[in-house]
Amino acid sequence: MTSGIFSIGVSGLNAAQAGLLTTSHNIANAATDGFTRQTTIQSNRDPQFTGSGFFGQGVDVTTVRRLYSQFLDTQVLTAQTQASYLDSFVAQAQQIDNLLADPSSGLSPALQSFFSGVQDVAANPASAPSRQSMISLGQALVSRFQAIDTRLSEIREGINTEVAGVVKQINTIASGIASVNRQIVNSGNSEALPANDLMDQRDKLVADLNKLVRANVVTQSDGTYNVFIGTGQSLVVGTQTLTLTSGRSTEDPSNIEIGYLIGGSTVTLPPSSLQGGQLGGLLSFREQTLDPAQNEFGRVATVLAQTFNDQHRLGQDLNGALGGNFFSPPAAVVQSRTNNAGTGVISATLANVGQLTASDYRVTFSGGNYLVTRLSDDTQQSFAALPQTVDGVTLALASGVPANGDSFLIQPTRYAARDVRVTVSDTALVAAAAPVRTAGTLANGGTGKISAGIVSSIANLPLPGAVTLTYAQSTNQFTVTGAAPAAGPFTYTNGSAIAFNGLSVTVTGTPADGDTFTIANNTAGVADNRNALLLAQLQTVQTVANGSANYQSAYSQLVSNVGNDTREVKVQSTAQDALVQQTRAAQQSFSGVNLDEEAANLIRFQQAYQASGKVLQIASTLFDTLLQLGQ
Amino acid sequence: MRVSTTTMFEQGVFNLQRGQALLIKGQEQLSTGRRVLTPADDPVAAARTLEVSQSKAINEQYARNADSATASIGLEENALARYTGLIQDIKTLAVNAGDGTLTSTDLKTLGTELRGRYAELLGVANSTDSNGLYLFSGYQGTTQPFSENVPGAVVYNGDQGQRLIQIDAGRQVAVSDAGSDVFQRIRTGNSVFETSVDPANIGTGIVTKGVVRDVAAWNAAGNPQNFEVRFFVDSTSVPPSTTYDIVDTVNNLSLTTGAAPAAGPYLRTYQDGATISLARQAPPDTNGTAFDYGIDLSVTGAPANGDSVTVVPSTNEDVFASVYQLIQAVESATPGAKGNTQLANALNSAHNSLDNALDVALTVRASVGARTKEIQTSRSNSDDLGLQFETTLGALQDLDYAKAISDLTFNQVALQAAQKSFVQIQGLSLFNYL
Repeated sequence: MTSGIFSIGVSGLNAAQAGLLTTSHNIANAATDGFTRQTTIQSNRDPQFTGSGFFGQGVDVTTVRRLYSQFLDTQVLTAQTQASYLDSFVAQAQQIDNLLADPSSGLSPALQSFFSGVQDVAANPASAPSRQSMISLGQALVSRFQAIDTRLSEIREGINTEVAGVVKQINTIASGIASVNRQIVNSGNSEALPANDLMDQRDKLVADLNKLVRANVVTQSDGTYNVFIGTGQSLVVGTQTLTLTSGRSTEDPSNIEIGYLIGGSTVTLPPSSLQGGQLGGLLSFREQTLDPAQNEFGRVATVLAQTFNDQHRLGQDLNGALGGNFFSPPAAVVQSRTNNAGTGVISATLANVGQLTASDYRVTFSGGNYLVTRLSDDTQQSFAALPQTVDGVTLALASGVPANGDSFLIQPTRYAARDVRVTVSDTALVAAAAPVRTAGTLANGGTGKISAGIVSSIANLPLPGAVTLTYAQSTNQFTVTGAAPAAGPFTYTNGSAIAFNGLSVTVTGTPADGDTFTIANNTAGVADNRNALLLAQLQTVQTVANGSANYQSAYSQLVSNVGNDTREVKVQSTAQDALVQQTRAAQQSFSGVNLDEEAANLIRFQQAYQASGKVLQIASTLFDTLLQLGQ
Repeated sequence: MRVSTTTMFEQGVFNLQRGQALLIKGQEQLSTGRRVLTPADDPVAAARTLEVSQSKAINEQYARNADSATASIGLEENALARYTGLIQDIKTLAVNAGDGTLTSTDLKTLGTELRGRYAELLGVANSTDSNGLYLFSGYQGTTQPFSENVPGAVVYNGDQGQRLIQIDAGRQVAVSDAGSDVFQRIRTGNSVFETSVDPANIGTGIVTKGVVRDVAAWNAAGNPQNFEVRFFVDSTSVPPSTTYDIVDTVNNLSLTTGAAPAAGPYLRTYQDGATISLARQAPPDTNGTAFDYGIDLSVTGAPANGDSVTVVPSTNEDVFASVYQLIQAVESATPGAKGNTQLANALNSAHNSLDNALDVALTVRASVGARTKEIQTSRSNSDDLGLQFETTLGALQDLDYAKAISDLTFNQVALQAAQKSFVQIQGLSLFNYL
């Protein structure tokens, strides 16, 4: 009987001690990240049957269990990976967002100053300081283009570095999980006696991995985790890991891409298969915001340089020569994939900058056809032969023969902002004048007046000599002499254009019979500002995106797009943070340590310990009583 | 609900951070005065801001262009004012020269004064602006527009270009006029035809500039436009009778008879100052074919036998040639009736030319005035528009201070409350009692 009391008392002492142990463990780990509170599970021992009935035999500590809910934990993981994704997206997007619209560092002030410079030349065409200021402001404009593009490229390089770093971290965590998997198998872990703290460690690793890229786990029968990332790429299988690699893309070496190392060779993982987490955020940002932004920015540079050059070449400089290019002519960039099998080289030339989109294109040679994919929306066109013009870009096979499956990346505008330069440095070479001038002959008897003339092509310039328009009243026609190639005669209608050989003039009024008008090469026209006026007008002409925007509004659109993207992810990110808070609070309310609760437990187990001690003391007293009986 | 200690810390810190972020944002808005700090704050407003600020910049540029246009056109207006003044001076001198009591010395003095005016005229035509560019040489700013290589023969070296300045999105206004249009494109005679007396005339006939009755008839095809009025004086009759014939000098036909011109006496009788019409008057005309060339002229004084008056279509003549002819006529005037008649006819012709030059100058001045007015209107429009753009920009990006300050204060109070409650709640622990 007494021994029964002793043994019950001891079992109580043990149980209380176990409770105190677990409670102190909980208190000690209250601030440990990933810790799940534990509790001892105790049960009453099987009773002893006697004639008087069942007598209890004390208590047993069956196991130590962690209060873990797979359901709540998965919720936190799901919310967290999306939050990390948005965080890293926002962090990147904010950089561009701040860059573009800053009133002092954006493109707008430089663009406006440059056109003010052009207007100044239009107002003072003979003034060397005005011309110099136009050139200098042009240089300021291109350096602004370059500075912003450099910043965008830096952001791209930053992403590359970060992606490589994240890939390393993923590999480290993967081997960490595999190693904990091994420890768990070796620890004697079982359903009944779980290795709680090892499991916490492993869940913490999964949570860390999940912040880098979306991670899903499947528990195996031996208690190990299989881990899948992104859209289901396996990373850890039991105690084995697969290795991720990062390296320069074979298609576009300016980007880092991610691959699997399988049997010594690398299999590229498309960015779409690596979603969620920091990595997903970086890759999505690059594809959804950075690429379009840099392309759109380049498109503004391309269209500006090309249209300005086109008009500048229609003018005449102070030396009396036809204008040259004011900016360096923009060019599309073609990159052959580094592992192309064939020798084919594809060239891309800008045929019509007004039609350019802000997308890149991939040309794949497949089954004898050239498949052209616009990457922004994946629309495809197939051609049996090149050259072909797609969205204002003419693609041609420059040399060699492509092999089946070869692919080429066409970037019509990506590098335009980086490459644009001002090619005019001599003030005399600013083509402010028009190359021809018109005159009504002094002896004309009628009231006919000739307009200053518009030049739309310089193919037939300079003129071989003066071109004379002679009016004949009998036929109501102008005959043209001196034009090469020959042109006319033209029937006269008051105010309607007479156009030939890239020239267009308008005669108004009533010319008399035999009245003549001349069109001649412009000489000594230092005060002629006609071309400068046309150049200045380009500022407001809708030249971009099929005539839907001018330079400034195309840039504003870019700013608005980036602003919208940033705002959208920011709003989502705020909402997602709240969701993470909520799911975490729910998970913590089940698994987290509450110190007040642990303090109460301390008291409870302490009292239980004291009470069991009292049981022993009483048992001992009882035993003493028996002993005294024997004296 | 069970709350873990970690959650209490995390929630507390989360709320504190959110409150601080709001405060920082409010502070940034207040210190910059801008509501939209980055495009993400309001993408639509950010893009609109860029576009409106471009419109504003362009508008400011138009205003600057208008100022520069006002300056340029002011210089031209100035030159034109001097030019019209000079023409009027020369006309006054021409009137003085017509005073029949002047001696040849007086005329020489007048001639010298006219030469001075002539030089001044050339000076005005070759005016330059503040940059040394010629005002009236068209596009060729550095080419002197008018040069006189042979006395009296002034050559135009410029072109017919007009410099335009953009003063509004849809409007370019001319700020210069080509010298050829101001000083050269001046019609002779009465702008349609020109009359002159034969230098060999010995009578005292003075011809008027004539009038156009019917411009369509003058311009009609088949009008030879070159005529001569020939006078015949029959001195045998008492008093002597004067008759005249009108000869089409292109076809060498007498208009009155329709046949080849013959010697006088002629069919029509001359009366001092009466209309000489280039239309059939039957009788006395015997020409079977009706004709009407649409013009009339008249001759005053007494033409001598064999004197003639010619009619030719108007041509363009530059003002320098007109003035130079006047100088020569004044300087070479000879005393006597014949000399006086010649001088009178030359002065008449000079008056006509100068009137025409003045007409041209005033037309150009009127157009310059209209352009100046337009530039001023556009300039003040620019100011109004600038104000509007400013308002729009303000509405798009400027901060509502009252609201921002009130928000800031509210956020401050909220953060203080969060801080205080956080500390108090964290202070509550059962361990305090153990």
